[in-house]
Amino acid sequence: MKRQIFNFLLLLGFYTMTAQSGTITGSVTDSNNNDALPGVNVIVKTTTNGTNTDFNGNFSLDNVKTGDVLVFSYLGYKTLEYSVSDSFNISISLEEDVEALEQVVVLGYVSQKASNISGAVSTVGADDVDKIKPVRMEDALQGLPGVNMFSNGSPGSKPTVIIRGITSYTGNDPLVIVDGISQSLDDMNSLEPSDIETISVLKDASTTALYGVKGGNGVIVITTKNGSRNQEAKFTFNTSYGQQSPEKTIGVLNASEYAAILNEMSLSSGGGLIFSDLSNLGEGTDWQKEIFRIDAPIITNNLSVSGGSNNTSYFISAGFTGQEGIIYGGDKQYFDRSTFRANFNTDLSSKLNMQISNRYTNIKDSGLGDIIFNALNMSPTTPVYADDGSYAISNTITQEIKNPMAQIANSYGEGNTNSISGKFELQYDLLKDLKITSRLGYTYVNIKSKGFNPYQFYGVGHNATNANADLTPITSTDADGNVTQTWNSVNENSTSYFNYTYDINANYNFSIDDHNLSVFAGFQIAKNTGGAVYGSKVGVPFNSWTYADLSSATGPQDEETTGSWQFVGRSVSMIARAEYDFNEKYLASVTVRRDGSTSFGENNKFGIFPSASLGWVASNEDFFNSNAINFLKIRASYGTVGNDNASSQFGTITTFPKYTFGGNIITGSALDGIPNLDVSWENQVQANVGFDLRMFDSKVSLTVDYFKKTVDDLLFNPTLSLYLGTPNYPSANIGKTETSGIDVNLGYKTDSSKDISFATNISFTTADNLVKEIANGDKYIWGAGYGIPYNNLVRFQEGESPGIFWGYLADGIFQNQSEVDSHATQPNAQPGDIRFVDVNGDGVVNADDRTKIGDPFADFSIGWNLNLNVYNFDLSVTTYGTFGNDIFRGFERNLNYTNKPVTVLARWTGEGTSNFEPRATFVDSNNNVRPSTRYVEDGSYFKIKNVQLGYNFNVSNSKNLDAVRLYLQGKNLMTFTDYTGYDPEMSYGVLDTGIDRGNYPSPRTVSVGLNVKF
Amino acid sequence: MKNLINKFLISISLIFFMTGCDEYVDYEASENYQIVAADYFKSANDYEAALVGVYDVLQWTLYNFMIGEIASDNSLCGGESASDVIGLQKIDDMIHDPVNDQLKRIWQYMYEGVNRSNYMVENKDKIDFPRKNELYGEVHFLRAFFYFELVKIYGDVPLFTNGRLTAGDSGTLKRVSKADVYSVIESDLQTAIGALPAKKSLDGRATSFTAHALLGKVYLYQEKFSEAANILEPLVGLYTLPADPGSVFLVEGENGPESVFEIQHSKESNGWNWGWMPQGTEGNFSVIHHGIRGYNGPVYSSGWSFNVPTQDLVDAFDSGDKRKNASVLDIVAWADANSAQYNEGYEHTGYFNNKYIPRAGYSKNTTELNYENNYRYIRYADVLLMAAEANNRGGISDSKAQSYLNQVRSRAGVSSVNETGSALTQAIWDERRLEFAGEGHRFFDLVRTGQAANEISGFVAGKHEVFPIPQTEIDISGLTQNPGY
Repeated sequence: MKRQIFNFLLLLGFYTMTAQSGTITGSVTDSNNNDALPGVNVIVKTTTNGTNTDFNGNFSLDNVKTGDVLVFSYLGYKTLEYSVSDSFNISISLEEDVEALEQVVVLGYVSQKASNISGAVSTVGADDVDKIKPVRMEDALQGLPGVNMFSNGSPGSKPTVIIRGITSYTGNDPLVIVDGISQSLDDMNSLEPSDIETISVLKDASTTALYGVKGGNGVIVITTKNGSRNQEAKFTFNTSYGQQSPEKTIGVLNASEYAAILNEMSLSSGGGLIFSDLSNLGEGTDWQKEIFRIDAPIITNNLSVSGGSNNTSYFISAGFTGQEGIIYGGDKQYFDRSTFRANFNTDLSSKLNMQISNRYTNIKDSGLGDIIFNALNMSPTTPVYADDGSYAISNTITQEIKNPMAQIANSYGEGNTNSISGKFELQYDLLKDLKITSRLGYTYVNIKSKGFNPYQFYGVGHNATNANADLTPITSTDADGNVTQTWNSVNENSTSYFNYTYDINANYNFSIDDHNLSVFAGFQIAKNTGGAVYGSKVGVPFNSWTYADLSSATGPQDEETTGSWQFVGRSVSMIARAEYDFNEKYLASVTVRRDGSTSFGENNKFGIFPSASLGWVASNEDFFNSNAINFLKIRASYGTVGNDNASSQFGTITTFPKYTFGGNIITGSALDGIPNLDVSWENQVQANVGFDLRMFDSKVSLTVDYFKKTVDDLLFNPTLSLYLGTPNYPSANIGKTETSGIDVNLGYKTDSSKDISFATNISFTTADNLVKEIANGDKYIWGAGYGIPYNNLVRFQEGESPGIFWGYLADGIFQNQSEVDSHATQPNAQPGDIRFVDVNGDGVVNADDRTKIGDPFADFSIGWNLNLNVYNFDLSVTTYGTFGNDIFRGFERNLNYTNKPVTVLARWTGEGTSNFEPRATFVDSNNNVRPSTRYVEDGSYFKIKNVQLGYNFNVSNSKNLDAVRLYLQGKNLMTFTDYTGYDPEMSYGVLDTGIDRGNYPSPRTVSVGLNVKF
Repeated sequence: MKNLINKFLISISLIFFMTGCDEYVDYEASENYQIVAADYFKSANDYEAALVGVYDVLQWTLYNFMIGEIASDNSLCGGESASDVIGLQKIDDMIHDPVNDQLKRIWQYMYEGVNRSNYMVENKDKIDFPRKNELYGEVHFLRAFFYFELVKIYGDVPLFTNGRLTAGDSGTLKRVSKADVYSVIESDLQTAIGALPAKKSLDGRATSFTAHALLGKVYLYQEKFSEAANILEPLVGLYTLPADPGSVFLVEGENGPESVFEIQHSKESNGWNWGWMPQGTEGNFSVIHHGIRGYNGPVYSSGWSFNVPTQDLVDAFDSGDKRKNASVLDIVAWADANSAQYNEGYEHTGYFNNKYIPRAGYSKNTTELNYENNYRYIRYADVLLMAAEANNRGGISDSKAQSYLNQVRSRAGVSSVNETGSALTQAIWDERRLEFAGEGHRFFDLVRTGQAANEISGFVAGKHEVFPIPQTEIDISGLTQNPGY
């Protein structure tokens, strides 16, 4: 206060001695290399009179008087104050601020200088996102230390994101916060990645505890761009065009090979020849070649403008992404997204700031079913088209497997998603350093979808056939002359979600000598609602997609169906956090959050999640004197967070059951859900220790973290005794897991000259997951499976890593009868069949001999990237690899007449011919196709995910252009793996990892793009 | 301005704290229009609806009856190929093991029936209403039905009667002896006989006669011949045998004069769902399994060629036996006569199950899933042959036994038999095969009468009399497995 009065007096003094006023001009340069600094903010202190330097670092400002203080500020440089004296043409040089160069890390409710953080956070900046130019932002997270991200090649589809291992059976998706608004990974298809300013991935308890019961799987905090104050409108235009193709195909039999193998299989099981003449069959149909295209386009365009006046800033962008699938593409498989964003920030008064940000997104998309599965299993002797031009059918494959081209032609669907999301926020400086924030955030999503199931024919009696060969309905007449018929049908679905959160919180910062304290307290209420209505009708006119609509269908009313569902969830939370540092040397934070939710059982409505962290910046100690080490911080944190995967549970009655009395269908009821009033969130305790190190003029940086997470009340729907019948049994908190791992990031960057810079970064991530206890009696839960008939495969089992494959150990092939006889009893085995290990040694090979046959999760993963700037060229390369993960090959249907993998050519045909591939026969009496190590492959891979080479045109002479950059980009250019399927990188549910059922491979994309700033 | 903002912030804070934020997270399922179980059983309608829910489970029994044929010497599994519905293929070949989807479904479905029945028992005392006693007669009848299917197929099984099991009961039950289960079945049926009317109010409802017939069957399975004879005796003469045995299996013959208990189906439902069969339909999902593969011709519709009759069965019929064509469709002869086309499926025998075969017009919507054929669980012919067997084997009256047997033979258009004693026993057993060919009784009759090892190739005595307990149940509940599996 004293000082303010002094300033005031000083100012007063200057006023009295005013000597000169007018326009001041000057230039601003970097003190280090004397480069001109464009865009430096110049403002007369305590006024709103200001400007920016131009591209050559020059500025000119009117109405400046002698004695005014000019403030020069520029991101990454120390702010400089200059008192105007006699000279009205000045040269200013700004000094780089090493500390300011470090980002301020956004933790969501609060932000903190990176050097002051004592938790574990990884960050991605707008530049990093630009280098990848992803369709979804999650791609930019791949390779971050502590983060595993697997994407699926299907356009726009949601990837798997795992932050620091798997602690839960039911939910492992991280929470996503966009500009303070809670969202989920599902919403990320609507976010235009080029709008992103920063992404912070919060990993440890001291940071995630801000989100309490939702923080257990890590938190991804995203902020979107905004303009700067006193900045002229800057336009950025990006456009790119690319083509996508599959990286490889899978080896299956061609027609001649297929026919020969089928003949052998038939003969060996006592049948006759199926193909009497192999000579004319040739290669037959290569179904993979038919379904895949090598030129599927992907287009992105976006335009943004940002700027600001002295009390307002704005960012407005519009973007379009259009992607077709590599399977057929066109109108059958595509993802078209249009986004519009307006972010606006203004000072309503000197103390009241208002921020409004809004996003609107429209997505139109369409997908295809199990085309790949059908392409791999359809017989190669069937042509695509029959002689009459219709799609050919197989005479031997009469169920399940279809001509994939016919399937594509008969697939009709479209989705239309409209979503808006945004916030309205007021920040009020109640006192000096005490800021009150009130924020209303909302997300509204409406998804309208339509599907059309036309009359289609895959052969008489095929279970997907609903018409005669000429696509007329199949009619039948009963004895009374009543005619019934099959129908085509159309269905429509409208699903909406509306979520809002209201936050009110206070942030108070103060310093006493070297003690800096920042205190935050907040209160939040949130409501999530959702619902859908849907209906279907039959009798679409002309059997045509053009006429497919509920309003146009003409079929009988009693064939209509309608339905709806809805949900509502609410929560209330209180949050408090204190951050302390002593001279930026000793750091501490304490966070506590109390959450209450409708999701939890009546007896467990509220949970409290505390955490704390400590840090020591050793390099700031006086005694620390090292030329090599520029920065060293040692950190530790401990706390609890939750996993909000519970759902409120009630005994409910379903009215689905029906029975027929007297010829009339009567609606009945049955108990559907069974309550568990004690159900609660999963409580996770996480400890983290780590250090940050920068050496050799900060050229080398190293961050290492070790973490351990334990969950003692794991939530899952137990697999209960079958004698409980078929209702939905409740989830219960009956398990324990433990996960530990190491996240390492090693970086090197250097600017060897003004024109050449080089940066590289390597990250290393491990997570050892262990299921410590499952208290449901049988000590495991079956997870995902595969195939027709369905085979259980994945187990979540006590004493094992979650999600392991469970099955038989194949131990070569029985070469002769004596080997069969000397082995444990394996019912119906013959020479040429697979020998399975009698694991429990009881002399019989049966279900008890199943054991762990694979683990789909990697021992470790590595991300390596490189950025190089040489004069006008820039090059960036990102790679990603996982090591030690297994994949189960589950895309073989194994019906007698379905196509086979090429490995069958090396089958056992007599003693000594093969010790891997069993005999080929129609009657698989040994059940060689049972889940076993036969299908487990090493899924380790290393991928060159992204390469971007850019050229920056010299535009220094242009009046209008600030930057023009042309680039060439390749995604998924190369995969190094032993896996024989399409793509070892697969995304399904977390506990459905590693089963390849005909996985949609990530396309190889080559594109060219242009960025213009003006 | 400043004042305004302060007031705004303060009032918002006050609103939330005063209205009590903790109540904000109270929740009732009714907020989402779900019916809460605690609010149920408050009117007679609720009880009637819950009873419909118990009947509903009867419609999930297709595999019970399919394995009754496929496991026996009457039919082969068929289908498209050796790998088509592997669970049934293995049962056909007597190489079935505990990992068998069909056997698991039967187990789980029958226990769902038991649990739905028990749920009604548990809520019996909530209110009173006029039809309550009769309604609970139906509940007990149905529970007896489900337990009987369980003991028949699996032998000793877990037994519980007081209420629906809850999650906490998982893994706590052990198998109890067949005899204990049978005694509950008997007492449930006696309760049903006491509570149910003799005349059915609607086709499909259990009556006291239905309960008599089922109890007779239950006694016969336990070789309690005099009890069986006594309980069946009142039914003799109450029903009649239509002259044409084939007509009984047409839609026109449903719930006819011979019908004692039929599981009702309808083709009218449209809530069918490929991914959720057989629960998703009111239709009879077994019928499509029996259809002629790739059929194109009159009268019949195409299907999946499962459960195909063997030559051995066809040869067992006398040439004049009217039941031969009623039971078995000779597709070669039929196709020739009607210029129809068809494909041969796996294990093609040239014959199809003519009783439960897809017929044109018998289904609607997704035709595969919606056949309206009722399943004839107990026909009057069965009552007569059961009564005959009880009278003969119980040493009560061979003349009665002959008379009952010959009523059945006479309708079939074959000559009467005069044998007595064990020859008569064999004649009754042989008659059962012919009379009920394709109806799912054969395997269980062979086991019950000790003939299985002789008649079924691959049958291992001491093992195959019962089917294995599903592996999943062994794994989860720690139940003991049946011997040999």
